[in-house]
Amino acid sequence: MNRKNKSEILFVVSFFSGIIIITFILYPILNTLSWTEPGIIWESLHDKEAINSIFLSIWTATVATLVSFFLGVPFAYLLARKEFRGKNLVESIVNIPVVIPHTVAGICLLTVLSPHNWFGRLLVNANIEVLGTEIAIIIAMAFVGMPFLINSAKEAFTWVSPRMENVSRTLGANQVQTFFLITFSLAWREILSGMILTWARCISEFGAIIILAYHPMIAPTFIYQRFTTHGMMYAIPVTVILIGICLVLFVVLRLLASEKTRG
Amino acid sequence: MIEIKGLSLRLGKFKMEKLDLTIEAREFFAIIGPTGSGKTVLLESIAGLKPIEEGSIQIKGQEVTLLPPEQRHISICYQDRALFPHMKVKENICYGLRFKSKSDQKNAVEKLNDLAVLLKIGNLMDRYPVNLSGGEKQRVALARALIVNPDVLLLDEPFTALDATIKDTIELELKKLHQVLQTTTIMVTHDFREAYHLASRVAVIKDGTMMQVGPVAEIFEQPSSIFVANFVGMKNIIPISFLTESKTAANVDSFRKKDFLGVRPEKIQVSNSPLGTDFMMNGTILRIKNAGIYRQVDISYLQYQFQVILTPNYYDDPALLEGSKIYFGFDLADICPLEQ
Repeated sequence: MNRKNKSEILFVVSFFSGIIIITFILYPILNTLSWTEPGIIWESLHDKEAINSIFLSIWTATVATLVSFFLGVPFAYLLARKEFRGKNLVESIVNIPVVIPHTVAGICLLTVLSPHNWFGRLLVNANIEVLGTEIAIIIAMAFVGMPFLINSAKEAFTWVSPRMENVSRTLGANQVQTFFLITFSLAWREILSGMILTWARCISEFGAIIILAYHPMIAPTFIYQRFTTHGMMYAIPVTVILIGICLVLFVVLRLLASEKTRG
Repeated sequence: MIEIKGLSLRLGKFKMEKLDLTIEAREFFAIIGPTGSGKTVLLESIAGLKPIEEGSIQIKGQEVTLLPPEQRHISICYQDRALFPHMKVKENICYGLRFKSKSDQKNAVEKLNDLAVLLKIGNLMDRYPVNLSGGEKQRVALARALIVNPDVLLLDEPFTALDATIKDTIELELKKLHQVLQTTTIMVTHDFREAYHLASRVAVIKDGTMMQVGPVAEIFEQPSSIFVANFVGMKNIIPISFLTESKTAANVDSFRKKDFLGVRPEKIQVSNSPLGTDFMMNGTILRIKNAGIYRQVDISYLQYQFQVILTPNYYDDPALLEGSKIYFGFDLADICPLEQ
């Protein structure tokens, strides 16, 4: 067998593995549509509770992503540019939320936010209600989503040569000007990709949120509640709407992020 | 112009200690040394991009040790050019002008045009760096560095990653640019030939220590140590042993306290008959390497091996055969005493 045939066999294997993966992802999503009818979806669009839960999911995920952005991007820059003792440990800590089960993440956050802990008591004394509110939802979402943004931003900053920053500095730009005109300008698309991943992770979060805030209901909690109390047929229309909104937002953001950076 | 006193810094395991260096105004100065010797670190510390632990740096009589890079009026060109990939050539070149005062920006168009003519980049202005060749990138990087009228231009291995023809062209252009603009320039390179072509003075650096500083011809002809000698292509280095205090070359002051001597390969003469040189030996030709424009002949004598560079007029000498016995020698004036 010559080399060409061998490489073609590899491509045949690759092609079939691709078909299996795409089917594995798309079939359950598309099949969900066959379980419902446009009329029922239309009805669900007028179900105030369902729509509220979807919009709550969207805006809390957006706020959690923005919080992750403003906290994560400066930290990612530090991780990309500086070497320090214990850096590997710090990077491992950042990724802990990715590896622990999300209900466990919820329990961990609860131990801090409950009035049994000094921080929780501090919040209570300051009349700041967290548990069972949108704040708890945002905290849970940011906890599980932030690592994705930090990792993407760090990769993006690592790709920008520190020598470009050096040149910018010697040409008269200060550190902040250099960061925005050079570093961030070159890294923003990858950071936006990280934001999309973080947002997607936030909007799909369920395990940590039901521990901290069953109410107000975000879409995944609402779907779960409909599924356990009313059955599959009542859960699916909301699921389809959520899939639709998420896909539209996802595609728009991906298009923004995927335009080729020159260089 | 630039006065560095007692500069010490540490970067991981690398350290530079108590380094002194003075560079004159309008001078083209080269810092040479092998990879990892601290050349680029020194350049970056002059630019304020690497913090120093001790010492001081003065530029034009002004203390700049604690000033950030943007206030030092120094431009740097890296070997990878570090052009901004998201900006067109014109935007790259004019980048530094936006941080200058309005009076400095007044003549921006004129400056841009002058540099475009000098560096032959007028037709590249609307391109992105990704669409430029290595030589074009180098020219754009130079224009970007020079448009802000820096007091000092720092060049970090400017000819790396350029093919031989482009390298020669850029080298000539850089020389012309320096003659026209008279900008004090410090170039870092690991190739002594580049320094020889461009610089008036050279500093040789090894592991963060200054080995020798001086006019380029002096370092080429009279390296002070084995390291510098090797670096400038002085191949024939042999240990000195003195017979008595009053005899042999020990009478020459310059040989006192030196451990080795070296002779440049092109200074050694060869012949199939005895030579009239101050020193003459009879050795065996080990190998002859034809390098086109010259031939390298390795001659064995006692336990030593000598390398000789011969120019074309020797090519047809029938005595020049591998394995044949040959006379070779050199004059006292061509011997360079060396420290270990």
